[in-house]
Amino acid sequence: MRRDWLSRGLLWGALALYTVYTAGPFVWVANMSLRTTPEIMAAPYAPAWTPHWWKFVEAWTTSNYGTYLWNSVAICVASVVIVTLVGAMAAHALARYRFRGRRIVGAAIFSTIIFPPQITIIALFQIMVEYDLYDTRLGLMLVYVAIQLPLTVYLLEAFFARIPEALYEAAKIDGYGGIEVFWKITLPVGFPAIATTIILNFIHLWNDFLYAVVIISDDNKRTLPLGIQKFMGDQMEDIGMIATGMMIAVIPVVLFYAFFSERLIQGMTAGAVK
Amino acid sequence: MDHRDEEARGRRIEVAAFLLPALLLFAAFTAYPVLRTFWNSLFEIRPNGNEIFVGFDNFREILTGDPVFRRAVLNTLVWSTVEPFIDVGLGLLLALALYTKVPFARFFRIAWFTPVLISTVVVAIIWSWIYNYDWGALNLMLRAIGLDGMTRAWLGDPATALPALILADSWKWVGFNMVVCLAALHSLPSEVMEAAELDNCGWWAKLCHVVVPMLRATLLNLLILAFISRMKVFDLVWVTTRGGPLWATETASTYTFKRAFEWRSFDLGYPSAIAVIWFLVVIAAVVVLTLLFRQRDRLEF
Repeated sequence: MRRDWLSRGLLWGALALYTVYTAGPFVWVANMSLRTTPEIMAAPYAPAWTPHWWKFVEAWTTSNYGTYLWNSVAICVASVVIVTLVGAMAAHALARYRFRGRRIVGAAIFSTIIFPPQITIIALFQIMVEYDLYDTRLGLMLVYVAIQLPLTVYLLEAFFARIPEALYEAAKIDGYGGIEVFWKITLPVGFPAIATTIILNFIHLWNDFLYAVVIISDDNKRTLPLGIQKFMGDQMEDIGMIATGMMIAVIPVVLFYAFFSERLIQGMTAGAVK
Repeated sequence: MDHRDEEARGRRIEVAAFLLPALLLFAAFTAYPVLRTFWNSLFEIRPNGNEIFVGFDNFREILTGDPVFRRAVLNTLVWSTVEPFIDVGLGLLLALALYTKVPFARFFRIAWFTPVLISTVVVAIIWSWIYNYDWGALNLMLRAIGLDGMTRAWLGDPATALPALILADSWKWVGFNMVVCLAALHSLPSEVMEAAELDNCGWWAKLCHVVVPMLRATLLNLLILAFISRMKVFDLVWVTTRGGPLWATETASTYTFKRAFEWRSFDLGYPSAIAVIWFLVVIAAVVVLTLLFRQRDRLEF
């Protein structure tokens, strides 16, 4: 029995240590986001005894974070809405219709899921320049829709294909047309899968850095990850302010997690379990 | 035209209407760019739009005369073979701990999973601070336990920069593997784990002889997924070291990006050729790995 207690204690100790390792850096940054840089430089690990909440206001008003946040929200929301709708339509067609070329279309789209981003990114840059989409939010949004589209169609198609045929038979008898079937059966019944892809796409795009750094250059069009990275480059010394900016990027995701934790975990792991 | 024909035609129009938006986007922003990159790789492309056909010269130079590329490939391969084992191994152990119902499992799971959700840019900045020479947590801890000799600027030292980045990246990704392993464990029939319990074998034996074989398919999938993702690693390197010091952390992605947009070499053809080579390497790796491990390991229970 004593050995058992000992091993449980050891296990607990190891888990606690690992928790400090994963959560510690995060708590540290949250703490720094409420302290000024001189305070941090004097004692990097002291708690924020007097939290400077005004730093968030200042980040907003003087450091352009408000603009970055707005850009991130606008571009991500628009891309996710479009990719969900377009992806669901395509998935519906692939799952519920039998037509020639169906397998080829599916295979062509799905195979690009594993492509490394370099294979498109240089040409995307050229295309954006040629069509005056370079350094525009519209251009970045179109690219975001395109990069998330294959995985979205893939996940939705798998789910839509498992919706019982009986539902569709009943709809046919009720005289539903093709669009009504999509709108009134596939979308509502497929909602769990749609919610999963919405979350997955949102997190991916919210955190994207590579495509944004290639397509956006104007400071007023930067998304949060770009803004933070640029701030890091410009104000190497202003650690306190960088930490505040990092928290602005992290808080929405953590809130998202707090409200939708199960679904979010499902979304993040959807591609992997298959 | 009889009724059936009309219905078939209606269905064809419906299919086309449902597929068209996706196909247009796919063609314009995925298929066309891929083809254009292949095409570009045969040219030297100047910013004024001048394209000079050079055939396979770019490829020849990359494969025979570009030490930085060789270094980038080596770094990326090291990264993508080492990290998956850390991520999946640690993820599995943590999942097992949660599976055996330790107290506060829910809190642990949240604390361990959160890094997965954080933007890599943020992760990169956090870790570049942790590795800071003067006030980074790592050096402070080493000094606290009297190992002053080991302190260094972890990302500034060519010997430690790559391992340091691999550690930072695994900090982000272990939680993901933990969650997938946990889901897989819960989907196992509970009798199996109970039987192992009854046999009273040690936890290490249980891990090797029961858990790992049972989860083989999931674990392999996770390893392959991690391997492929690491082949594309970019953000973390770009924000912390930009491939330095002395190319110690250069990866295939950062080198492509550098040659295309940073070096002011004013040639998009050469980086396109790098992209094509790396694309073929990734695809080959995926094909080989799936052929090697496909279904052969399906376990019946």
